[in-house]
Amino acid sequence: MPGRTPTDGGDGLMATLANRIDSRLRRGNPLPTLADANEDISRPILVPSWRYAALLSVVIAGVLLGGAAWAWQIYRGIGVAGINHPVGWGLYITLFVFWVGIAHSGTLISAILYLFRSGWRTTINRAAEAMTIFAVMTAGLFPLIHLGRVWYAYWLFPYPSQRMIWPDFRSPLVLDVFAVSTYFTVSLIFWYTGLIPDLAALRDRFRGWKSKLYGTLSLGWQGTVREWVHYRRAYLYLAGISTPLVLSVHSVVSWDFALSIVPGWHSTIFAPYFVAGAIFSGVAMVITLMVGLRFAFGLEAYLTEYHFENMAKLLLLTSLIVGYAYAVEYFLAYYSADPIEQESFLWRARGAYQGPFWIMVFCNVVVPATLWFRKIRRSIPALFVISIFVNIGMFYERFVIIVTSLAHEYVPSGWGLYTPSWVEIAILIGAFCWFYMWFLIFAKLLPTISIAEVKEHLEHGKEHGHAEAHAGHPGEYE
Amino acid sequence: MSGCGCSGTGSPRGGCCSAGPSGPPGTTRRDFLKIVGVTGAGTAVACGPPDYADKLIPLLVQEDERVPGVLDTYATAMMVGAEPIALHAQLREGRVIKLEGNPQAPNRGRLSALAQSALQDLYDPDRVPGPRLRQEGSAEGVDPVDPFAEATWDEGFAALGAALQQGGVVLLTGGTPTARDRFFGEWAAAVGAEHIRWEPLGYGAVLTANQIAFGRREVPTYELQRADRIVCFGADFLGTWLSPVQLAIRFSVARDVDRGRHAKYTFVGPRLSVSGLKADEWVPARSGTEGLAALAVAAVVAERRGNGGQLTSLLARYSPEAVSERTGVPAEQLRRLGEELAEASAPVALPPGFEGQSFEATESHLAVAILNHLLGAVGDRVRFGGGPPVTAVASLSQMADLVERMRSGEVRTVIVADANPAFTLPGSLGFVDALRQVGTTISLASHLDETAAGCSWILPSSHPLESWGEIDFGGGRRAIAQPLMGPIFDTRQMEDALLQGAAAAGRPLAGPPDFAARIREGTRSRFVAEGETRSFDEWWRALLAGGGLLGRTAEPLAEQPVLDAAVASYGFAEPAGPAETSLLIYPTVQFYDGRGANRSWMQELPDPVTRAIWGSWVELHPETAESLGVGNGDLVEVDTAAGSLTAPAFVYRGIRPDTVAIPLGQGHTAFGRNARQRGVNPLGLLSEGADRLSGAPAYAGTGVTLRAAGGRGRLVITQGSDTDLGREITKLLGVEAVLSAGHEAEGHDVDLAELVQAAYDSDPNSPYRWGMTVDLNACTGCAACVTACYAENNIPTVGAEVSAQGREMSWIRIDRYFVETEDGGFQTVQQPMLCQHCGDAPCEPVCPVYATYHSPEGLNAQIYNRCVGTRYCSNNCPYKVRRFNWFTYEISNPLNLQLNPDVTVREKGVMEKCTFCVQRINRARLAAKAEGRLVQDGEIKTACQQTCPAGAIVFGNLKDAESAVSRKSHAKRGYHVLDELYTRPAITYLADVTHASVPAAHGSHGGHGDAEKDGERTEAGSHAGEDAH
Repeated sequence: MPGRTPTDGGDGLMATLANRIDSRLRRGNPLPTLADANEDISRPILVPSWRYAALLSVVIAGVLLGGAAWAWQIYRGIGVAGINHPVGWGLYITLFVFWVGIAHSGTLISAILYLFRSGWRTTINRAAEAMTIFAVMTAGLFPLIHLGRVWYAYWLFPYPSQRMIWPDFRSPLVLDVFAVSTYFTVSLIFWYTGLIPDLAALRDRFRGWKSKLYGTLSLGWQGTVREWVHYRRAYLYLAGISTPLVLSVHSVVSWDFALSIVPGWHSTIFAPYFVAGAIFSGVAMVITLMVGLRFAFGLEAYLTEYHFENMAKLLLLTSLIVGYAYAVEYFLAYYSADPIEQESFLWRARGAYQGPFWIMVFCNVVVPATLWFRKIRRSIPALFVISIFVNIGMFYERFVIIVTSLAHEYVPSGWGLYTPSWVEIAILIGAFCWFYMWFLIFAKLLPTISIAEVKEHLEHGKEHGHAEAHAGHPGEYE
Repeated sequence: MSGCGCSGTGSPRGGCCSAGPSGPPGTTRRDFLKIVGVTGAGTAVACGPPDYADKLIPLLVQEDERVPGVLDTYATAMMVGAEPIALHAQLREGRVIKLEGNPQAPNRGRLSALAQSALQDLYDPDRVPGPRLRQEGSAEGVDPVDPFAEATWDEGFAALGAALQQGGVVLLTGGTPTARDRFFGEWAAAVGAEHIRWEPLGYGAVLTANQIAFGRREVPTYELQRADRIVCFGADFLGTWLSPVQLAIRFSVARDVDRGRHAKYTFVGPRLSVSGLKADEWVPARSGTEGLAALAVAAVVAERRGNGGQLTSLLARYSPEAVSERTGVPAEQLRRLGEELAEASAPVALPPGFEGQSFEATESHLAVAILNHLLGAVGDRVRFGGGPPVTAVASLSQMADLVERMRSGEVRTVIVADANPAFTLPGSLGFVDALRQVGTTISLASHLDETAAGCSWILPSSHPLESWGEIDFGGGRRAIAQPLMGPIFDTRQMEDALLQGAAAAGRPLAGPPDFAARIREGTRSRFVAEGETRSFDEWWRALLAGGGLLGRTAEPLAEQPVLDAAVASYGFAEPAGPAETSLLIYPTVQFYDGRGANRSWMQELPDPVTRAIWGSWVELHPETAESLGVGNGDLVEVDTAAGSLTAPAFVYRGIRPDTVAIPLGQGHTAFGRNARQRGVNPLGLLSEGADRLSGAPAYAGTGVTLRAAGGRGRLVITQGSDTDLGREITKLLGVEAVLSAGHEAEGHDVDLAELVQAAYDSDPNSPYRWGMTVDLNACTGCAACVTACYAENNIPTVGAEVSAQGREMSWIRIDRYFVETEDGGFQTVQQPMLCQHCGDAPCEPVCPVYATYHSPEGLNAQIYNRCVGTRYCSNNCPYKVRRFNWFTYEISNPLNLQLNPDVTVREKGVMEKCTFCVQRINRARLAAKAEGRLVQDGEIKTACQQTCPAGAIVFGNLKDAESAVSRKSHAKRGYHVLDELYTRPAITYLADVTHASVPAAHGSHGGHGDAEKDGERTEAGSHAGEDAH
């Protein structure tokens, strides 16, 4: 049934809308129209406040700092970073994996939850998808930044050339190029497709050049039934295409490590372990960003405890998987009876990098365990704090995997340590600013919540009269 | 306009050059290109190196013997420390790019690290570029480091001549068995100067002891190859003492298990040097008591063999039990050593060397001479008369006397040549101050060293590789040194400068007026003696081509002395009561007496014992370190009566708790960019204390007090863990198991050679699969291979800062692992580690751009210009032998002239590693192809293999079952490092062999590294406190 919304069966958004409608009625306001949703969601668009401008300036300054550091690194040589022999990969690859991980929950929320008809995704999918795009854009920089000769980066692509040399498709790094670029392309198309009706709504809201801008971007969307039928189909298919990518991309990224012979990397559990970790970190980042959006744009009515609790559950689940993976790694090292593997893992917990290791365990296993308590799952400040912890923990997880494994490899004479340099720290700051810069631009340029889907819910709720039935009990909906 | 004829140097005659690239109106495309070409060439010339290299191939009409692109080999010779070395220098386009040994000479074609790095002295940008005169007067505008102004040679000769006429001249030189040394004598006699020789590392104690013992003031040769039992009382004969290359060759023969022999080797002394680490057994005698230990051993030998004779009463006083307490060695250990020596059929004892140069060094040597006499070694394993004539140098008191005369004004002129007393004399003598009080001081140094910096004139001499010379190898063998190229700087052959000076003074020497002719004429008597039928010119040319008179002469063995009967009544002095902690100053393989310190290859060469680079350190026993509360890199202050210094600690288990050792050679205050202000000079801690009988400076035995100075110093240690944690990276086998026939216990159960030839490893159609064997039993860790590799493969040095981050570039490194023995001691395995050229290489499939790939001949090749620098290959290399160019490293002009044109110079962002010297493989393959044959075994020698004194490295074709490398790969001792990874390395290591009791299966003791103990390479610390106070 083409017109069927995927949110049948009730969900938190409907409940919040019902609440909102209720309160309007109680205050004697006229019945809300679909225009109300348009108005509420698109109110912040293109209306920059001084706070926004200040924040944007700060992050742009950060981007410039990172850019300058990178330029220095290209000019002088990658030796200005702290990476060395034997630790050939450090903060850059840590950040690459970190940002690819962040990118994961976006597609998970929009595509997989769409296919599973989990209605609670509606208010968060737009921002989560945007986060995905920006996270991939950030992640994609790091394979470039970490190259010794970035000016030849295009050699990693299979382009026809006179020299007839192709990349080596056995190399996990080439697989990376394909996995990440595919993921970026599909995520971008999926996101843009979802935006089309909203862009049309914005076109109608504005006059002049703004109308022209959004009109062009909306590709002439008229909202006819025929358009909706095709649109729904396309969206469903794109969701279908995106879904395997959620699993594949981070599996491929994990193969950067698992396909090597480095003790601590060479492990068959890496693909599921990394995918779980990616979702874990991605959900945490969604929570962090959503709390920010909710606070900044006054979207309390649309982003409720209900949504956050669902994300918290996902966080808890993936935390358990990640914690299990940590334990399994140690078990495998023990069970392998391979002294080199065993030494590598013992050193991870007891050696020079025991600090990062125990931060990782604390942030990713201990802190999320508090989410067993419903009260904490529904406390937005608590979740915000926990999500920050998880972000930190997942950053350290990648650091621990990459650096500790390389630092203690097979030949003991070759052991060494790694400390990031100021260039790497500057690029780290730049990367976070780069990500937030795009997110801030997005928040002022596009609706952060899908207007079309919200309106569907509004119509749907009125038709079925669920508003009153569920008012006040949004949390009961599963 | 087309006929303008502008030269490359770009004179603006005519329109075209001045028109510039934009061109005047009407310029055709052809003109434009011409202009661009000419201006481009002009710019290139203007920016290029000085005019001696302004054209890539400078010869329009080729000279004979010089074909661009073809390697020329010329024979020459030079002194390396105290060892005469005959060379085959390799030249490309008229520049020396690599030194190899002359196979005809006693060094058998092999070189030490110090010899390999002589090229860096030749091309050193810090050489004095021409005559220099000190700027007198106020400090205003005068650079304190280089207060010299340019002068002309004529002015220099005039000054020299004037000084000679004044009288009161002292010629202060080194002491070498060369024609130069003889010339110094003749010259001094002719001009009426006093000739004083000074070498900090002299052999006065040996000469004096042999004078007493045998009535021969000579240094014998040690024929270790004939020995079946070796005991060394301290000399670092594999590193720095006497002739380390030759002795290492002989030592490896004595311990060649493949020929069914393995002479047990015991080291007696307070500290394990390079030679000490190779020993099967360590008798840690207290510093200065080596002689007592030798007497105790001799007592046991005499008792056992019953050959004590008149010595019996002397030796009775030195039974092991009697000396046990004073030497700090259990009597049983000395007794067992004596018994083993007595039972051996060809035992030999080596003397204390520099490390045993205490206040009673001569007596220590005498004790060893007595022991050798009792062992029957004299005349067989210890031979007189066949070696280079070692010259006696001034004693410390003579030098003190000279300093006094310089102060008093009695000496009016000092001419210094081939010596750097300002650095190598104990600081307390005050040579530097005295030098300032001498009227005319002339240095003939090539570098602005400490002595030159204090002189009024510098008349820089050419490098030995730019000079004529003749070196006496002993036994009638003489090498002729010929200049390999014109002088790079405005320098003169040292002897020619002195001849000119003598002429200017009106006291010319008899004979030809230039040194080259004097050398040539000097051989005429030999020509006559040989009854040659050729003309003298022909004979002389052949002599030069062959490197001199190097063939073994038929001269009968010189008459061998017997122990002087008077020795029996010799009264040995009682060694001074043991200081609580005593100092030991030792030379290193990198710097010798400090002369190697400005060579970046040497600074960046990990010390074979400590693995430290670019600095100084104080070696402390773990107990001593603990009592001071310091660890590696923590600053320690060392105080003596004469001075004090502060340097980072190195905690070393191979030293006695009551001894601290500091390497010699660092702490320069001048000399050049790499040497200056780096590390500490321990000679500042010495007073005038010297060996009582010979007057040689006492490098051992000075009492010190230690104090933790607080803070960290810079100590860059290139090795991570000191043990291989049972990973079987190294293997150490018991000698019985190896030598006994049909031993199966340690044989590998896979046919390694077959494995290596597995289909994957090379193209089945290729006749070659290059491979290597590295014999850990032969390897002494001398690190010559490392430096040879730097020279051959254009490997940059990166400096202290960058090395501290683990970024040194050595393609071959030596890992030194300690292995615990069953008796609670330890053994050391030195393991050269280089690219294993795996058949199934982990680095290959991970490269995204095929920059690392497998060649049809089985080489694991790296294509520099394809590399994008992901470093994944390095991460995935289990041997950690890949090196990344973190920066583009500068190679200062004229050091760039040393670069091998056959090897690419790499830029930043590119991975590199050992290529098995692919340029040498290609050269041989092409030559073979031109002749329509396959490359023969032994035709290709990698740089590391070529130079290895011990012959530990064998390279060749594994597909040729008869090749040396194939046969060696099948050895029972053979194993592949990290075999379990199935990387199928092309390098087969042959296990080290020891007489010590190693655990039955060395390597099976768990694998749980103690994270506390087994460290990573040391981090960089602060600069604080590096300088001596």
